[in-house]
Amino acid sequence: MANSSFVYVSYIRTTQQELWDALTKPEFQRRYWFGMHQESDWKAGSPWAMKFGDGRTADAGEVVEIDPPKRLVLKWRNEFRPELKEEGFSRCVYDFEPDGDIVRLTIIHTIDRDAAKFIEAVAGGWPRVLSSLKSMLETGEPMARTHSAPQT
Amino acid sequence: MSQFVYVTYIYAPPQQVWDAITKPEFARRYWMHYNVSDWKPGSRWEHRHGDDSGKVLIEGAVVEADPPRRLVMTWTRPDHSKEPSRVTFDIVDYAPGLICLTVTHDRLENDPAMASSISGGWPKVLSNLKSLLETGRTENIWLTKNKEG
Repeated sequence: MANSSFVYVSYIRTTQQELWDALTKPEFQRRYWFGMHQESDWKAGSPWAMKFGDGRTADAGEVVEIDPPKRLVLKWRNEFRPELKEEGFSRCVYDFEPDGDIVRLTIIHTIDRDAAKFIEAVAGGWPRVLSSLKSMLETGEPMARTHSAPQT
Repeated sequence: MSQFVYVTYIYAPPQQVWDAITKPEFARRYWMHYNVSDWKPGSRWEHRHGDDSGKVLIEGAVVEADPPRRLVMTWTRPDHSKEPSRVTFDIVDYAPGLICLTVTHDRLENDPAMASSISGGWPKVLSNLKSLLETGRTENIWLTKNKEG
């Protein structure tokens, strides 16, 4: 089956619970996700949305699977760029694996089409978000908001 | 898999990132291995184990060296049983005090075992590099339970 995917692994000095909170709680998300946050009640089957600082919806979908603080699967579609929205829903899998003082975070973001523009876009975004997250958890300071890519 | 790409953003000057890759005493702190070369195009380089043995794990040739911005080298096991793959480090200023490091490991078509090994290894090495430069702390990455590296 045709598909495109992006995989990223990061090792972060933190705990599984702290990482889980950083990825699911808006007050943490806003700090390292360049002012964006997510809205959901984090139950399987519930709606999920990624919001810009001004309240516009960037991405939306639903929670497919949730097993705190180890695993999260989201159905995820871009909502603000028509050429990405038309590619339809992707699937984003987060896995958190503790190992001593560090947690191995794996993101696998996949869509069922070849050479997807959506995957190209997230391949640019995830390293910035996850570098910012790692800096925040390890040093207390995320990457500055101005260091995100321009959002149109 | 023919190519593996890893991008990370690090609060550090480009020269420090360059030194972390090319200077043995620096590399041993986060890679637990180190690289030896005079870093001139055409010169040989060796990737050695950081323990007392200093065993050569990987070797190759320096293809391009433009300190502190870009380093390209071939990458093969010492037994030369497979065609060499290639590693490119690109260090770009991204924002004041913040660099973007991209590691591109390509020409892996003929060596699936190497492709699998480096896909596990680079995230460990580059996560540890970011931690070292931003916090001064590191982990012994090859002792963790995920041993693909």
